[in-house]
Amino acid sequence: MGLPAMYLIFFGFGFQSLSSGGGNYLAFLAPGIMSFQAVMAGTVGGSILWADRRWGMLAQLLVGPFTRTEYLFGIMLTSLLLGLGGAALMLVIAVVLLGTTTVTLGGGLVAFGAIALGSIFFGSAMLLLAALVKSNNAYNSIQILLIFFVNFASTVFYPASPSLPLVLRALFVLNPLTYIADTARAGYAGTLGGTNALEMGILAVESAVVLVLAVRAYLRSDVSLE
Amino acid sequence: MTALAGEAPVITADAVRHTYGKGRYALDGVSFSVGRGEVFGLLGRNGAGKSTLIKAMTTLIQPTSGQLRVLGLDPRRDGRRIRERIGVVQQGESMDFTTVEGNLDLYGYLWKVPAAERRRRSELLIERFGLGEFRTRRSWDLSGGQKRRVQVAREFMHDMDVLFLDEPTIGLDVLMRRVLLDSVRAEVRKGLTVVFTTHNLEEADYLCDRIAVIDEGRILALDTVANLKRLYSGKRTVDLTVAEADAGRFFDALSSALGPAASVTATAGSAVVLVDDPKSALGTIVELAQRLGVQLEWLTVRQNTLEDVFLKSIAHRGDPSGSA
Repeated sequence: MGLPAMYLIFFGFGFQSLSSGGGNYLAFLAPGIMSFQAVMAGTVGGSILWADRRWGMLAQLLVGPFTRTEYLFGIMLTSLLLGLGGAALMLVIAVVLLGTTTVTLGGGLVAFGAIALGSIFFGSAMLLLAALVKSNNAYNSIQILLIFFVNFASTVFYPASPSLPLVLRALFVLNPLTYIADTARAGYAGTLGGTNALEMGILAVESAVVLVLAVRAYLRSDVSLE
Repeated sequence: MTALAGEAPVITADAVRHTYGKGRYALDGVSFSVGRGEVFGLLGRNGAGKSTLIKAMTTLIQPTSGQLRVLGLDPRRDGRRIRERIGVVQQGESMDFTTVEGNLDLYGYLWKVPAAERRRRSELLIERFGLGEFRTRRSWDLSGGQKRRVQVAREFMHDMDVLFLDEPTIGLDVLMRRVLLDSVRAEVRKGLTVVFTTHNLEEADYLCDRIAVIDEGRILALDTVANLKRLYSGKRTVDLTVAEADAGRFFDALSSALGPAASVTATAGSAVVLVDDPKSALGTIVELAQRLGVQLEWLTVRQNTLEDVFLKSIAHRGDPSGSA
C-alpha cells in the first residue's frame, strides 16, 4: 500500500501545479489510486500462490485437511480484502489531504463494488500467471510489466482525453482498470451513469472468464516447482 | 511393530500405474498392502517412483489406473477424509514464514487442535527435537537441518493414523536422525502406521518391518528385512575397487569369469560381488587383475547387508551401472 499512497501524495500535489483549469488533480487522482489497489491486491494473491508453489507450502497444505478449491478461494478472499482495505486506506488519506470529501454512501458503495470486482479480476489474472509461470525471474518480470502497463494505460492518472493518441485511447478502452477507475471516480464524485453500468457489466463478464481460466490452470498445475 | 493378523490393511495398492506424460510410467503396476501398526519402507534410487507413490497415497496426484485404498478410502473420491487422518513429511522444504513456535502452533491450528493442547504439544516437541535454542527465530533464519527438524516435529502436532515420511532424515545430524527414528518407533508402538522412504539402508534396517525395493516404477522385491537378507544368506559379499579407466573391461571380464551364480554390480570404479564361495572368487579376481594388468585398489569380503539386497534387486533389472 506504500506505493499507491506515495502516488497519491506526490503525484497528487506534484501534478496539481500543471492543472491550469482550476480543477483539483488530487480529487481526480484519489479514486484512481483507490482503484489501483485492485491491481496491487491481485499481485499479492498471485505472489502467495507462486511462493507457496516455489517454497513447497502448497504441496504441504494440500496434504492437510483442505481442498485445492478452498486454498484458491482463500487467496481470492485475501485479494478481495486487501483490495477493499487498501482502497479504504487511500480514501482516508485522500480525505485528510483534501480536507473534505464529496463521496456519498451510495456512490461509495458503488466505488467499492467496482474495486471488489476489480480485485477478483486482477486476483484471477495473477493466479493464472502464477499457475503458468515456473521461473522466478519470468514471474517477477511479467508481474512488474503488467503492473506498469495496466496502471499507466488506464484512467487512473489522467482522463481518456480526445487529445491522447488513438492507440493509447484504444488501450485505455481494453484495460479493465479503466472501467474500475471510471466507476470509482463517478461513485466518488456522485456522477454515476449508464456508461458505468455498462463498464461494470463488461468487467463482471471479464472477471468471470479470467476466474474460470485461473481455476482451470491452477487445478492442472503442479503443486510444487521442484 | 508388525500388523495384527486378520485386521484390514491400512493401505492397499493393486496394479497402480501413473504416468506424467506419454511413454514412461512413474509407477508401473505397483501392488502391495500395509497393515496397521506396520512400518513399511520404500527403497529405491532417485526417480525410482518412491515419491510418486507417496504423492498418490497422500492424494496429491491421482493414479492413471489401478486401485488404491488408504484407510479403506479411495483417494480419488475421499481425499479430504484421508488427509484428515494422515501426516506427511515431504522430501522438499516447506516452511511458512513464521517462527518455529508459530509453525508448530499453525500446524496444530490447521488440524483443529485446541489451544491448550497445542501449547502442551509444542513444548513437548520443542524439547524432543531440540528446537529450544531457535524457537523464536523465523524460518528464513534457520539452517537446512534446523528447518528439517521443524518440518518433522510439526507433523506430530496432530493425531493421525498413518504417517508418510519421504526421506525425512535428509539434512539431519546423527543424533537428530536417531531422535526422529525413535520418535516414530514410539508412535508405532501406540498403533501408528508408517510409510517410510529413504536412501539410508541402515535407517530402513533399524525402523522398517517390511521393505519394498522399487525401481523404474516397479516393485522388485518385497518382504520383511530378515527375509530379504535371508534371500542371500548362503552368499558373501566381496567389495572391490579398481582404477576407473580399467573398470568397464575388468568388471565385464569378471562377470564372465565368475559365471551366472555370482552377481556383479558396478558403479564407476567400484563393484559389489555376491558369491557362494568367496575364497574361490578372490582367487579369480586376483588372477584376472594380473592377467589384464589392472591394479586392485581395494578388495574385501564381508557379511551381506540390506544394501546388498538393494543392489542385487536393482542389478536384476539390467541397471546400466551394474553388469550382472
